[in-house]
Amino acid sequence: MQEVINELLETMMSNQVSVPVIQPVIDMAAQVPMVGLGISFILWTPIFALLICPGLSTLGIFLLFFPWIERKLCGRIQWRVGPREIVPWLGGLIQLLADTLRFLFQEVIVHKDAHRPYFLQFAFLSFAAALLPLLFINAGAVIAIASPYGVQLLLALVCLFPLFILGLGWASNSRFAFIGSVREAFMYFAYEIPFIIAVLAMVILFGTSNPMLIPDKWGIILNPIAAFTFFVGAAMATSRMPFEIPEADQEVAAGPHVEYSGIAFGLIYVMCYEKAYILSALMVVLFLGGGGGPYIPGLTVHLGDLMGIVWFLLKVIIVMTTMFVLRTIYPRYRLDQGLTIGWGAMIAISLVALAWSIVFVFLQQGGVL
Amino acid sequence: MEKEEQDRNMHILRTGVLSPVKRWSAKWSLWPCHFVTSCCGVELAHAFASGFDGERLGTLNMGISRQANFIIVEGTITRKMARALRIVWEQMPDPKFVNVIGACGQRGGIFWNSYNITRPSEIVPVDFFIPGCPVTPEGILRGVRAVQDKIALGKDETTIKFKKVALPSEVGQGSTIPTSPKRFAPTPLVKVDIPREVDWDFGSTTVSNLKSQLEGLYKSITITDKNRIAIKTAPENLMEVARKLSDNMGIDHTKSVNVVDVPHEQKFILEYMASSYSNNDLMPVIITLFTEIERKAEPEFPSITPLWDSADYSEREMHDFFGIKYEGNAGMNAKFLLAPETQTPLRKDFKLDEENYVFDDSPLNPKIDLPTSLEMPAPTDLYDEAEASDEFIILVGPHHTGSGHLRWILRIKGDIIVDVTPDPGYVHRSMEKIAENRLYIQNVPLFERANITDPFNMNLGYVHAIEKALSIEVPERAKYIRTMLAELSRIGAFFYDSGIFSLFTGHSTGFMYVWAIREMILEATVRLTGSRCTPSFIIPGGVRRDISKDVLDMTGNFTTAVNKRLKKFEDIFINNPVFIARTKGVGVVTKQEAIKYGLVGPFLRASGVDYDIRKVEPYEVYDKLNWEVTTGDAGDCLGRYMGRYEEIKQSLSILKQTVDALKRMPRGDVISGEVLGEYKEASEDIKGHLYHAYGNLVLPKGEWTSVIESARGTLLYSIISDGDSNVPYRVRIVTPCWMNLRGIVEASKGERVADFWTIYGSFGYFPPEADR
Amino acid sequence: MKKVTVQDQGLVEKTKCHAAAIGVAMKESVYPLTATVQYPRQRKKMPDNFRGYILFDPDKCINCWECAFICPANAIRMKEAPNKKYYPTIDYGKCIFCHFCIDSCTDSALRTTKIHDVAYKDMDEMVTLTEEMIEPPEIVREDTKLVEYLIDDKDLQIKKTREVDSLFMDEVPPSVEIPVVSQCIDGASCIGCHVCEYVCGSGAISSSIANGVMNMAIDTDNCTGCGLCVKECTMQILKLVRK
Ligand code: SF4
Ligand code: SF4
Ligand code: SF4
Repeated sequence: MQEVINELLETMMSNQVSVPVIQPVIDMAAQVPMVGLGISFILWTPIFALLICPGLSTLGIFLLFFPWIERKLCGRIQWRVGPREIVPWLGGLIQLLADTLRFLFQEVIVHKDAHRPYFLQFAFLSFAAALLPLLFINAGAVIAIASPYGVQLLLALVCLFPLFILGLGWASNSRFAFIGSVREAFMYFAYEIPFIIAVLAMVILFGTSNPMLIPDKWGIILNPIAAFTFFVGAAMATSRMPFEIPEADQEVAAGPHVEYSGIAFGLIYVMCYEKAYILSALMVVLFLGGGGGPYIPGLTVHLGDLMGIVWFLLKVIIVMTTMFVLRTIYPRYRLDQGLTIGWGAMIAISLVALAWSIVFVFLQQGGVL
Repeated sequence: MEKEEQDRNMHILRTGVLSPVKRWSAKWSLWPCHFVTSCCGVELAHAFASGFDGERLGTLNMGISRQANFIIVEGTITRKMARALRIVWEQMPDPKFVNVIGACGQRGGIFWNSYNITRPSEIVPVDFFIPGCPVTPEGILRGVRAVQDKIALGKDETTIKFKKVALPSEVGQGSTIPTSPKRFAPTPLVKVDIPREVDWDFGSTTVSNLKSQLEGLYKSITITDKNRIAIKTAPENLMEVARKLSDNMGIDHTKSVNVVDVPHEQKFILEYMASSYSNNDLMPVIITLFTEIERKAEPEFPSITPLWDSADYSEREMHDFFGIKYEGNAGMNAKFLLAPETQTPLRKDFKLDEENYVFDDSPLNPKIDLPTSLEMPAPTDLYDEAEASDEFIILVGPHHTGSGHLRWILRIKGDIIVDVTPDPGYVHRSMEKIAENRLYIQNVPLFERANITDPFNMNLGYVHAIEKALSIEVPERAKYIRTMLAELSRIGAFFYDSGIFSLFTGHSTGFMYVWAIREMILEATVRLTGSRCTPSFIIPGGVRRDISKDVLDMTGNFTTAVNKRLKKFEDIFINNPVFIARTKGVGVVTKQEAIKYGLVGPFLRASGVDYDIRKVEPYEVYDKLNWEVTTGDAGDCLGRYMGRYEEIKQSLSILKQTVDALKRMPRGDVISGEVLGEYKEASEDIKGHLYHAYGNLVLPKGEWTSVIESARGTLLYSIISDGDSNVPYRVRIVTPCWMNLRGIVEASKGERVADFWTIYGSFGYFPPEADR
Repeated sequence: MKKVTVQDQGLVEKTKCHAAAIGVAMKESVYPLTATVQYPRQRKKMPDNFRGYILFDPDKCINCWECAFICPANAIRMKEAPNKKYYPTIDYGKCIFCHFCIDSCTDSALRTTKIHDVAYKDMDEMVTLTEEMIEPPEIVREDTKLVEYLIDDKDLQIKKTREVDSLFMDEVPPSVEIPVVSQCIDGASCIGCHVCEYVCGSGAISSSIANGVMNMAIDTDNCTGCGLCVKECTMQILKLVRK
């Protein structure tokens, strides 16, 4: 027994998130038997990644505050104020907390025509499934499962989302949900291919698909075309303007979500932010140098791994904000236009990006670059 | 039931250990399901747009009932809409709250004795009532605050406290109660072709021309006013006459279809008002083609639609109102505008409640009753039929983020629209019937409610008809003021439509930007008249009062101040490549089609017809100002929109010119002495003398038709007076939106599903105006 | 006539337009042209002619019923006061704030206020009795700032001042005085129905019988010119004339 624990402890200790500033505190706490074990467990990189960052806690905070950032910023652009009165001096910072709690306590209606078991299951499943890709994302040096096929696995999991959305629409058994899901399916095929090609282009360029091994280089400079394709693809995947086609409020009344209420809707609502978070994280890793950032004397050394996390989160926020602010700039395309863009321009551009990467790699190997 | 329901909601929030959390979260997360039922919706939009931004309070407008927990009932709930209200309320998860804004939703407001409205408080439990017509945005937000306080503090209180003061008690002279001011002639003389001497050479030549062409087919041809000719025929000859008019003279569309019920003579007078878009000389002329048929339960008459398609929807409407069956019109098997169970309400034997001028303790009008069933009829047979041919039916509205207040039945095959059937009437508030029971002056605010986004034009048209009848010459200054107001309201209406258009294409920023501009227009309106959207400012003979210099300055400043914000709107919305991709080449209406379906206004001009009443039959001071008519030839959504945009630039220039002229002009009379009579001194400000001067207005007998160019096109009022009563015998209003409804339907066919909303938005459709 | 044609956007043009749209969003996120009045805490200044709740002054009322007659929504109904006169009551569940009543009231017995933001718990409370219309009512207010919209020739300017606006106007704008009195224009046609006498609230009309002939006399000093008798006269032989 003792051996097992010791071994476990050893594994844990060998792979700890290092934060020099608080190291003395940790060392002190480590003297206390159980607490020490707890702390080293939490600081154990996979667990830290899973529970703290980029995993659940960060996600939770994001979900709680990011919509606020979005609503405030959109409000500002639209000559308004955005949520405010809930705490006027903080600019309504906790608005989303109220919304979430309200959804939590609101009745969940399963209407007569719905396919009851699936109707509820899909709402929760889709939320859970959207968490999976988090396992393969690294925030700086912190990752839950480092795998040489990390990027591919991530992509595969990301591609699961639309299936759940289809499921939602199907289980709702409503006309608008039906049309919305069909639109989602169409859009899915339209963005998936260029999206994957763009990622492939980067994998070729970096010569690895292990997110941990991807250097802190700015992919967006090395291959801006791929970055553009990826960004547009991500906007399509998360149904952002101008591609908010499946959920078009004025046309199909929020499509697949039309029948959901209470916390079931709450989960679906945040799922869209989850998706955006994951895709932004991927974008940061592939194109924006992951957890790398300029050296800040004092901080960088003391914060250790935490510094990577800070850079990473900052970049994620910027990417996500850009993605969400699109809705203040663009109206939405029609379905056929969305498809034309996906199957036409986007594929063409993504192939160019792929070619760019290949040429780049050749040049690099030839020593030109 | 009501009380229980309300208690249940509060009970949910009050019980459990988590009650404080529940209440706190519910308080700050009231998501109104915007139940756009009527004109108050305009002010609701202002409350949630950049001017007041209701989102600050945590109230995020949500189109979908399942996710909302708060209904703000915006004004009138008609019998047809009552079902939708109930369903939406039932769809919402508990706990839920309801506010009713606007007088219409309370005790009926100006529509208190309408045959088609109900009281929302009898359909759903209501938490708060906010008075106003329309309610100001502040009022709406006050309502939100009241609900918040109710949830959080349990404070369920009215937010106004009156202080009671004892009335004088020293007993003076008592008096009897006077009788009603309204006077109905017992056997009115109803004639629509009373001849009038006018100086109109073209008229006499046209009449002699007509006489020779229609030899033997007509009974009489009369000039009833300048540019108005009435032709009386026998019922069986009407079609033939119409055909001759159409073939020989290019009379190609109807402006109005009208029926007048004359019970004491056992007859219906059937009228078609026709005019021409293709013959330039006849453009200003309106030919009233009429005949008399026997009055019975279900009279039949051949439809004119094979010749003039533009009469289609109006005939259906007359079928609803009078029970006349137009053979050959496809819509005769069901009610079009009214709820299915309604009788033929515009017949004279259908009586409305009468006013009660003495206070008693029965404040609620007893006649308002609920529709028999609250089930929303779904066209189930249509479902099967569509499925058989591999098609799909979707019902858009009456409660849908992109429907406005009517229901559209879209029949689609894949992504292509096969057919669109409109189901209007969800805001039909029976203006025509009510108008028959009100003094002439009381109808000024009534008709304005048809379209509070374009209130001055709604006023102006009606007042014009009265002035025509009385041959009143309006003082110069008043004319300029009216022109200024009309253009201000045209600009406001355009921005309204742009906002809705932006929303329909999914662009919320566009909506917010133009709503901020509208906030400026409303600020000007409130300073000019005292009311934000419903000024009732234009009265027969002039305007209510003169306008002060600084308000004029402000209005003049607006014409340049708007540019800064307009530029941003242009950059982010109008020139946005996505917007252009969505609208270019979509929903094309060709010139022939536009004429055939009788489109009006900027939407007609966008298809290449050069017809603007401000030029064709100039009124006010339009002929003295420097401006141009805008037309286009694309006829698509973008063309319609850009045409209007250009027109607004012209309007801004007209506005500037009128303001400048007014500034140069000395203050002076703004109400014509002819109508004031004894009260001439009130000619600068009617205050104190409105009733004296207008209470007993009587029009000479005959039919008086006026057309003006309102923001969305030709607005026609035709008043029939018996020359004795001080209320109109019949008023027919044909609003531009009603005429353009057909355009939306035809333009949508064959387009993609998402295009429906672009087309809908591009037509600037305002349902309360169409339904009246 | 001006013809509007919309050209297709070329690639360059398109890129420019995309850039312009994005530019607006970026600019506004830094220097927004915010136009918001943060209502419960701020209040927008309304002009003095604003049409809001209505106040009443019984001393000025001449009982002419004109406010009730002109009200298009039938919101005004007259209630008998202890002094036997009829005074208006307003049902705010019907009132459409057209202020036709105020514009009809000859002696400015009715006047406006700037109250317009009120929520009622139930509809019965919306009927405001005469007694309640005399003193300015109190409303729930949370505002500490007054916001004024000013439009100069460049843009909308928003002026915020830290003050609490009074919702009641100090003085009632006067109306032009046009003194009229009732006069019988055709005494011979009088049928002696006494309607005018009964309907007159100021006791200006008296009747006397001399030689078996009814004789109506109108006391021009007492006559307020309200016109009720003119309206009621069975034979329509009364008329309002200049004093
Ligand atoms: S008429 Fe229109 S503005 Fe007035 S209360 Fe009714 S819905 Fe509101
Ligand atoms: S404001 Fe208009 S609706 Fe209100 S009481 Fe006066 S006349 Fe009647
Ligand atoms: S109009 Fe004025 S004076 Fe006449 S009854 Fe009404 S409040 Fe009194």
